[in-house]
Amino acid sequence: MKLVPSSSTVKNALGAHAAIGLLAGALLYLVCLSGTVLVFYQEWQRAEQSDAPEMAQISPDAVQRGVEAVMASERGKPATTHLYIHLPVAKLPRTTITTDSQAVHLDAAGNVASPEENGWSEFLYALHYTLHLPGLYGMTVVGVLGMLMLALSLSGLIAHPKIFRDAFRLRARHRGGVGLSDWHNRLSVWTLPFGLAIGLTGAVIGLGSVTVYVVADRYYGGDVAAVYATVFGKEAKPDPAKAPLPDVAAALRYMQAHYPQVAVTYATLHDPGTAGQHVQIAGDHPRRLIFGEYYNFDAEGRFEGSAGLADGAIGQQAAASNYKLHFGNFGGLPVKIAYALFGLALTVVCATGVYIWLGKRQRRGVSEPRLRAAWNGVIWGAPAALLVTLAARFALGNAAPFTTIFWSFLAGAILVSVVRGRPAPRGSHGPDRLR
Amino acid sequence: MNGGAALLWLACGLGVAAVGVLRFAWSLPHRSAAWNSAGWAALAACVLCGGWSAGAWGVSVAALCTMAAAFAVLAVAGWRAPPGKATGSNRRMGMLPEPGEPHIGRRLVTFLLVMPGGLLAALAIALAVRGSGLALGWGEANANVGGLFAVPLAWGVLCTILLMQARRGQAITLLVCGVAGAPFIVGGMGA
Repeated sequence: MKLVPSSSTVKNALGAHAAIGLLAGALLYLVCLSGTVLVFYQEWQRAEQSDAPEMAQISPDAVQRGVEAVMASERGKPATTHLYIHLPVAKLPRTTITTDSQAVHLDAAGNVASPEENGWSEFLYALHYTLHLPGLYGMTVVGVLGMLMLALSLSGLIAHPKIFRDAFRLRARHRGGVGLSDWHNRLSVWTLPFGLAIGLTGAVIGLGSVTVYVVADRYYGGDVAAVYATVFGKEAKPDPAKAPLPDVAAALRYMQAHYPQVAVTYATLHDPGTAGQHVQIAGDHPRRLIFGEYYNFDAEGRFEGSAGLADGAIGQQAAASNYKLHFGNFGGLPVKIAYALFGLALTVVCATGVYIWLGKRQRRGVSEPRLRAAWNGVIWGAPAALLVTLAARFALGNAAPFTTIFWSFLAGAILVSVVRGRPAPRGSHGPDRLR
Repeated sequence: MNGGAALLWLACGLGVAAVGVLRFAWSLPHRSAAWNSAGWAALAACVLCGGWSAGAWGVSVAALCTMAAAFAVLAVAGWRAPPGKATGSNRRMGMLPEPGEPHIGRRLVTFLLVMPGGLLAALAIALAVRGSGLALGWGEANANVGGLFAVPLAWGVLCTILLMQARRGQAITLLVCGVAGAPFIVGGMGA
């Protein structure tokens, strides 16, 4: 039995594919491009601040000293609600403490060494995560783009009944649009598992807030935290009464003694310095996609149990597996290189999709030089803008206004490209294979 | 080498072999069910071995190996491709009106049906998935995560279906989603 869609189905699917691609094209391109570069997030952080103290490991007592020093430095400021201790791991062998108001590196003895300076990495992270839009709005927009990636994959499959049969046919040097279509279709089909995984995990992360809000509103009396608690475990009841700082060292020692196979990646102190405080330690499990398991401790460092991300309900494990699968940090450098390669392929797929559409219109006699010029501006302007921000990081320092530089440069590149875009005689402007 | 690692290597090898077999099968002048089946079977075995070796992590690593092998084969195909001048398709997509086609209003309605309408329908399906899961004894965590995954999946599929349908079909699709979610949205189910 052959499952061949009718010609009208193919035509409708192609229309749907084009509509989604054009609706999301530029933003999807930016998200794919930034995601490709962001694969090396930890490496970028190390490059940005190469003189930060590095260590293979840090003792629990040194961590405790660091926490006390950081908390002491915040006396008189609004109390921090969460204190994160990022512990040294192979890909980022640094100890960094982040509070609501600051982030500092510790040396191996637990002394505060220097402020964290990874402004460019954070700018890149925010570009990919939220397109620099405010918080949840940005995440939701990027989540919608992930959903549209799924729709593009589905409509693309329906629109190209021979896409598997032709999966190795790459007429790379053909002009007149054929070569471009082949690049688009071949890269799409061979990155299909990757694209589906990236699109779905990105959409689940991005749209999660909307879904959780609706579920909370309908079934949990509007308590969003209660919905998350069913998956990631719940936080202790806050009690703002003052209390001595928690014994993080005891919790870390417990992990060393009872979970030696687990790599502790970070610890979170909830409401530190209050009677409601507790310690949560995230541990990375080898050969697992989950970002880690949460091990919970009270203020005295007594183990209270784990959240179940590693061995709990299948839903918990699936939710916890979203992040590594999306960011490609589950198999060291080889996996990162593969993610960068396939991410680049997806970026090329986004770029070529619109060029294919423009080429088809041009071959029907609808010439749109300014639209093509604007798209050229996006395609070449965005990576150039990223390079300019990176240059600004090393020329101007950590405080350079990366977001302003990026969007101004990109807008300028599009504007210049459009202004310079002139209707050209057939065959004389731009690479012919881009039509 | 322990058993898990050996299985993972086997999974990666099967993935690479699957690419090779499919490359051969799809280059034949006539469709060969035997070679096609062999290629797809090797891919399926790759996934199974990856899963046996280290669960989802093993499947992911084996999939990356397979895709990398396909890219290598594709690179060779691109490198060896002779120059040509075949004319590409000029098929209409109907995304933007061409001269003399004032259809912006119709396209705006389509956008509203697919994006906000599609999201609402997907949320209705998500509530239905969550509520049905609870009724089937999935447990609260599984049901809530089922709902989380259902929204982008359902919206993505709906997006494609709605854009392929005429207006009447779109209305029916959205109505069906609404009916599926109604017991959980307006009724007390799923609590």
